[in-house]
Amino acid sequence: MFKKALLALPVALALGATAHAQAPEDVLQALIDKLPSDYLTQSEMNIMMMPDNPALWVGMDGEDLFHTPRGPNNVSMEACDFGKGPGVLEGAYVELPRYFEDTGKVMDLETRIVHCMTEVQGFAADDPAVTTRHGSGSDHMQIQTYIAMQSNGMEWNNPLDHPLEKAMRDAGEVLFARRAGMSDFNCYACHGQTGKQVRASRLPDASVGEEWTKAISWPAFRVGHDHVRSSQHRVRGCYFQMRQAGMLAGSDASIALISYWTDVGRGQPAILPDMKR
Amino acid sequence: MFKKTSLAAGVAAFATLFVAGGPAVADADQVDYTAMTPHELAEYLIFEANDGGGFNLSQEMQEGGTARDRMQQDELQEACSIIGDGKPDADTMNAIRAAAAESIVYPEGGIQLGDWERGRELAWSGFGYRVGHNYDDHTTREVGGTCYNCHQFAMDRTGGTVGPGLTGYGKTRGSGEAILKYAYDMIYNPHVYFPCTHMPRFGASGFLDEQAIADIMAYMFDPESPVNE
Repeated sequence: MFKKALLALPVALALGATAHAQAPEDVLQALIDKLPSDYLTQSEMNIMMMPDNPALWVGMDGEDLFHTPRGPNNVSMEACDFGKGPGVLEGAYVELPRYFEDTGKVMDLETRIVHCMTEVQGFAADDPAVTTRHGSGSDHMQIQTYIAMQSNGMEWNNPLDHPLEKAMRDAGEVLFARRAGMSDFNCYACHGQTGKQVRASRLPDASVGEEWTKAISWPAFRVGHDHVRSSQHRVRGCYFQMRQAGMLAGSDASIALISYWTDVGRGQPAILPDMKR
Repeated sequence: MFKKTSLAAGVAAFATLFVAGGPAVADADQVDYTAMTPHELAEYLIFEANDGGGFNLSQEMQEGGTARDRMQQDELQEACSIIGDGKPDADTMNAIRAAAAESIVYPEGGIQLGDWERGRELAWSGFGYRVGHNYDDHTTREVGGTCYNCHQFAMDRTGGTVGPGLTGYGKTRGSGEAILKYAYDMIYNPHVYFPCTHMPRFGASGFLDEQAIADIMAYMFDPESPVNE
């Protein structure tokens, strides 16, 4: 812990320098300067802690994992295409979910990593490296965080040119509005008004771009969980709160919803990795 | 219209969508997502895609049935699922109001206030009807009202602001017959006054029973309750 803290500054500089000059906290600060928002400024401590965001360390572990030859095929993930060509990560994440020719499917970051682990590296589908999706110690969260960080400060811009990309985005819009379950909730129940809170938690309004980009900036370190969490984890949490069925990891329903929420954030800069309460 | 849709009717309507008009193809690989309307695709992604649905639909629910049943929409949920969070047309709104009025069942002997101390805990509790982690069958903890998620009541606990603040509710409004009925209706089925409100139908859905509603109302109205300090 202490050793890691000493390393924080060079790490932030090194990671920032590879892709872009802005640090995540600067991206957030620019949004706050643009728009006074209780959601964006909800925790001064979190903003203060962002230069030492534990997610940065998780991303560093992910960098090692990404570049190390692994799996039965003993190849690194550099052979994987995340949408901008094999091994190209800069700006790849803000253009996900997208259609991939090789699978004929719209995929988000998590499902694409699964694809690379199984199809390129040769891991069995039931290998813990593939099936363990949660927690800062998981391969998934480490690799996701590393890849996502290469899009920090860039604008959300998931492509909608392919008919399947458009179909998934539009279905996601329907899902966002779809009320069901014992509480009649849909996503608007929490994300349809500005400046509201559930208990002590400030809520992001989907119609306010500056708030929404932070809302969808995952992976993020969730202070209350003491773990880095993913978009998939957030979606599942929302359905739990709505008392609807548990969303299956990487299902097309989850990708549709993430396609829509990314489209809603279009043009706003991503904060990667983020830190949330 | 807008009477409480039976589960069977909902399932039948769904089956019709895919058997009669929709892409009733068994093999997921052959299903063309682009040939469906966004609504059809959304329903398909929930109930059919990924070899059985995008959700864990087989899990048993506390109210009976499975998560598949719970994901089915009734008429109100369908009518109030509007992109952009808008409102339906005036006729639909009136139909929603009328159906909500019809749904409300009043206690025998009239609306009574229960135990405000129990109501205080129920208003605070977010427990009940959960799916997945912290799943419960309500044998160890009773179902709460989750009221504080959206409302502020007494100031000793932090409530949400999604719904209006209810501090001093009884003190400022009295406890006459009309206001008691209004509060009861709002808890039981708020669509009678606010069609497509975000507030759950705690009575009509079976979320809260008669005693729980009486106790929560006592928390709102009883002069001894901290809400009315």
